[in-house]
Amino acid sequence: MFFRNLTLFRFPTALDFSQLDDLLPEAALKPVGPLELSSRGFISPFGRGEEALSHRINDAIWLSVGGEDKILPGAVVNDLLQKKLLEIEEKEGRKPGGKTRKRLKDDLLHELLPRAFVKPSRTDALIDLEHGFIAVDASSRKTGENVVSEVRRALGSFPALPLNAEVAPRSVLTGWIAGEPLPEGLSLGEECELKDAMEGGAVVKCQNQELQSDEIAKHLEAGKQVTKLALVLDDHVSFVLGEDLIVRKLKFLDGAVDQLENTEHDDLRAELDARFALMAGELKRLFLVLEHALKLSKAE
Amino acid sequence: MPSVLHRLIARTPRSVERDTVVLELEDGRSLDVQRVRDPRAKRLKLSVDERGARLTLPWRASLVSGDRFLQQHRAWLADQLARHAPDDGIAALVPGATSQLPLRGEDLPLHWHEGRFTRITRQEDGIHVDLPTRATPATLRRTLRAFYEAEARADIGRWLPGYLTGLSRAPRQIRLKVMSSQWGSLAPDGTLTLDLALVLGRPSAFEYVLVHEVCHLLQANHSPAFWREVEARFPTWRDERAYFHAEGRRLKSRLHRLLSGD
Repeated sequence: MFFRNLTLFRFPTALDFSQLDDLLPEAALKPVGPLELSSRGFISPFGRGEEALSHRINDAIWLSVGGEDKILPGAVVNDLLQKKLLEIEEKEGRKPGGKTRKRLKDDLLHELLPRAFVKPSRTDALIDLEHGFIAVDASSRKTGENVVSEVRRALGSFPALPLNAEVAPRSVLTGWIAGEPLPEGLSLGEECELKDAMEGGAVVKCQNQELQSDEIAKHLEAGKQVTKLALVLDDHVSFVLGEDLIVRKLKFLDGAVDQLENTEHDDLRAELDARFALMAGELKRLFLVLEHALKLSKAE
Repeated sequence: MPSVLHRLIARTPRSVERDTVVLELEDGRSLDVQRVRDPRAKRLKLSVDERGARLTLPWRASLVSGDRFLQQHRAWLADQLARHAPDDGIAALVPGATSQLPLRGEDLPLHWHEGRFTRITRQEDGIHVDLPTRATPATLRRTLRAFYEAEARADIGRWLPGYLTGLSRAPRQIRLKVMSSQWGSLAPDGTLTLDLALVLGRPSAFEYVLVHEVCHLLQANHSPAFWREVEARFPTWRDERAYFHAEGRRLKSRLHRLLSGD
């Protein structure tokens, strides 16, 4: 259940979430209809069979947006359409026109959609009420925005803003591997991406590489700038921070997970509860470090 | 450019075609005019901005009619070019030589230093540039662009939350880019785009553009209802619009020269 990526948004801390639990059932996931392509809505963070559509520990709320998407490959539709068109051509001795083609395609979709496979999906999000941020477990901004839209649909209003850094993230990341002091608790990992400033310029991707080394220094002297950087926070979490402010490859390290092993949980729900509490605490700390280092704007 | 027959029988293409023609002005000077064949263009159009002269042709207009149009408007073109001549005060960014940079309506002192990596920071005594000896002009320009973007984001971060009250949704994404004629736009998906040149001008003008675009979240038009929303949030918007009429082109030119290196 630990998040693996973070797409972050900020919202005013004054927002009222007291009605959330009452409003979520209205926006719960409905099974995708026979003639629908997809469906989105909230599901229980503990699994689809559970009832609670949110889980709250102190000021952290855990939400899950579920999805059901019909799988209908375009190639399959086109192939069947082509066969039907050929049949008509042979029968009537003329090529069917555009209108007929469109009607046939619509008929085919109506015929195939109820028989199509349904692909389930799930995206988790954590809302921190104290600091006014929502962290979506996704590396794609679009997925993150979809989750924010679902929260907005449930609440009626949710003015969440994407992160806004008041310093150039490239400059900050480049400074860190060039020897500038890192924020307290942060240390460099062994992965980075360096880009030449020119449009379509050189890109250097390093893995398992000592970042404060002569090789990297030469790239920096040549004008390359850091666009992705692996970092470790207090030996508790490791991640790769991009200039797009999306946290990728998030991993909870032994320093954090060891705390879980010291506690005993007799059921799955208690185990998930403990993990969520741990993750909420670590994400809060990570957010505060990033907020300070990148001067992230507040939403109020 | 394709032949006349081809243009008449071919389907209208989606792409814009560009080339350059040389026009001799009445005073004997030669001028490069960018000729653009745009499928969306409805009529012949001659325009001049800080990048030079441009002749826009609809898809089915002939090259001869374009040339004739150019010849007919040579005097007007010379007059406009004199008005849009590059201002001597607008200089490109030259490492070690440029001594001032525009920011928020002021020209701030620029201090150059040799550094391990390219970095531009704003401090109390002005703007400081750290530049390695091997850094390329492209790196410097990219860093300057990132610097301006960060400064613009700092302003947006300060102003925007105050205008979110009463909105059911916030902008989906805020992009800063170099825009040729507009100052801002709001896409139907909620993406708010602002011209990077705004951070060079006075802050109140920048704030007005932000408010203007945010109001489009409520009214996706320029109806009286839209202007009422703007008026309620930013009563002095007329002053800022006048500022753009007076200074707008110069702001865009300055940014263009600083970032293009021309």
